[in-house]
Amino acid sequence: MPRLVINGLEARYGSLKVLDGIDLDVASGDVVGLIGPSGSGKSTILRTLVGLTPPAAGSVEIDGEHIDYAKPGDVRRLRDRLAIVFQQYNLFQNMTVLQNVMIAPTKIKKRAAAEVREEAVRLLAKVGLADKLDRYPDELSGGQQQRVAIARALALRPEILLLDEVTAALDPELVSEVLDTIRVLAREGMTMLIVSHEMGFIREVSKEVVFMDAGRVVERGTPAKIFDAPEEARTRDFVSKILRH
Amino acid sequence: MLDYTFQFGQIVPYLPRLLDGAVVALELAVLSFCGGLLLGTVGAALLTFAGGVVRRIIGWYVSFFTNTPQLVQIYFLYFALPDMGIVLSSFTAVLLGMTLNAGAYLTEIQRAGFESRRQSEMEAAEVLGFSRVQQIRYVILPHVARVLFPPLSNHFILMTLGTSMAAVFGVEELTGQALNINSVTFRSLEIFSVTALLYIAVTLVASALLAVIGTTVFRARMRMF
Ligand SMILES: Nc1ncnc2c1ncn2[C@@H]1O[C@H](COP(=O)(O)OP(=O)(O)OP(=O)(O)O)[C@@H](O)[C@H]1O
Ligand SMILES: [Mg+2]
Repeated sequence: MPRLVINGLEARYGSLKVLDGIDLDVASGDVVGLIGPSGSGKSTILRTLVGLTPPAAGSVEIDGEHIDYAKPGDVRRLRDRLAIVFQQYNLFQNMTVLQNVMIAPTKIKKRAAAEVREEAVRLLAKVGLADKLDRYPDELSGGQQQRVAIARALALRPEILLLDEVTAALDPELVSEVLDTIRVLAREGMTMLIVSHEMGFIREVSKEVVFMDAGRVVERGTPAKIFDAPEEARTRDFVSKILRH
Repeated sequence: MLDYTFQFGQIVPYLPRLLDGAVVALELAVLSFCGGLLLGTVGAALLTFAGGVVRRIIGWYVSFFTNTPQLVQIYFLYFALPDMGIVLSSFTAVLLGMTLNAGAYLTEIQRAGFESRRQSEMEAAEVLGFSRVQQIRYVILPHVARVLFPPLSNHFILMTLGTSMAAVFGVEELTGQALNINSVTFRSLEIFSVTALLYIAVTLVASALLAVIGTTVFRARMRMF
């Protein structure tokens, strides 16, 4: 059953049309990889989904429920179900690792601190940071910070996780530790929409790959189809260029 | 060469009065700083987030108090307010004047802190479901406190020294006491050198305390002295 359904989504920055009618859906438990050249609008799709960039047109449904981004109540409910992790981690610098993970469930969702703490510690252990609970973000490597950011997003028990180039800011030797974390989530059946330039990884974890260019979806299909037998010239061009790197 | 025989013995009996004066000076500094901090936090938050009219009014307040001498501001409160039926003791007039003045400077200082907030952290908070007020409370203010602790500490030290102005209005703080004692004993050099040492002692202790608080509570980057 499709969980996230996007139809005709448009977004603009001023007069620039950045998303030009995006249709996309992600079924429950699936991982969808979103690829495309720089500036094609991948980040904008994710930002629009979580309500950071207002859509100019189109519709978004989660489990059949239509989201009206002009209604603060809709956006609030939406953010209980969707979580996003950014390229630059964006951890709260004034809080320890554990506080970063605990703050939204305790202060915003008003869940009991003891219970949240237990869950936060479990999540941090899962991303391999059980021994860093009381560290501050500026005392961690980029890969560690990114794993904290993933744990922080998971602490709200989202139904769908959006990942935007979560390894792009990392030194090469730190990429794999973050990818391993995402692999575990995929195996556990987390529904994810992943934007990444790590083509090998996208190919491996995705059920479906979506290639977009200039604000439109150009082609979609299984990883084998997109990477080995793309139908569109633009896809072929992009894939061959990026795989040669 | 200084052709003068220091006779500190003569002013020893007056030391307790000087110490009393130092306490009054600290009282003035702490109270006006706290009041000013409150004004400055609200002022900076409004300058950053409020609309045009509110921003303009705060801008006027800041320009007025940072572009006129503090002495003149206090004179104004001390002499103008009684005409409007508000009679203030000299201590209260000085306290009020210093608070309003501090509020203006601390608005300016804190605005820089608010502007240094990281948009990306705010976005992260927003998508985690934080309201605007919760973003300010949990993300911006702790960050601002950390960034601003050193400059705010410096301003507090300046204000501590600035309390000497209260002597003009007859407040018996450190400088006022020194002037009183001087008019009785005429040992000016002894009195004012001891007074200066007391100011140094107060500011050194305050700086050290602030540095400890800053580094432990706010993880601010500051040095002890
Ligand atoms: N805040 C903004 N203001 C104006 N234009 C923007 C803004 N953010 C993005 N854009 C423009 O929108 C277009 C799409 O940007 P977006 O960040 O979604 O691309 P992307 O596919 O994520 O690219 P990348 O792979 O480089 O991250 C680009 O042309 C970009 O210049
Ligand atoms: Mg992007």
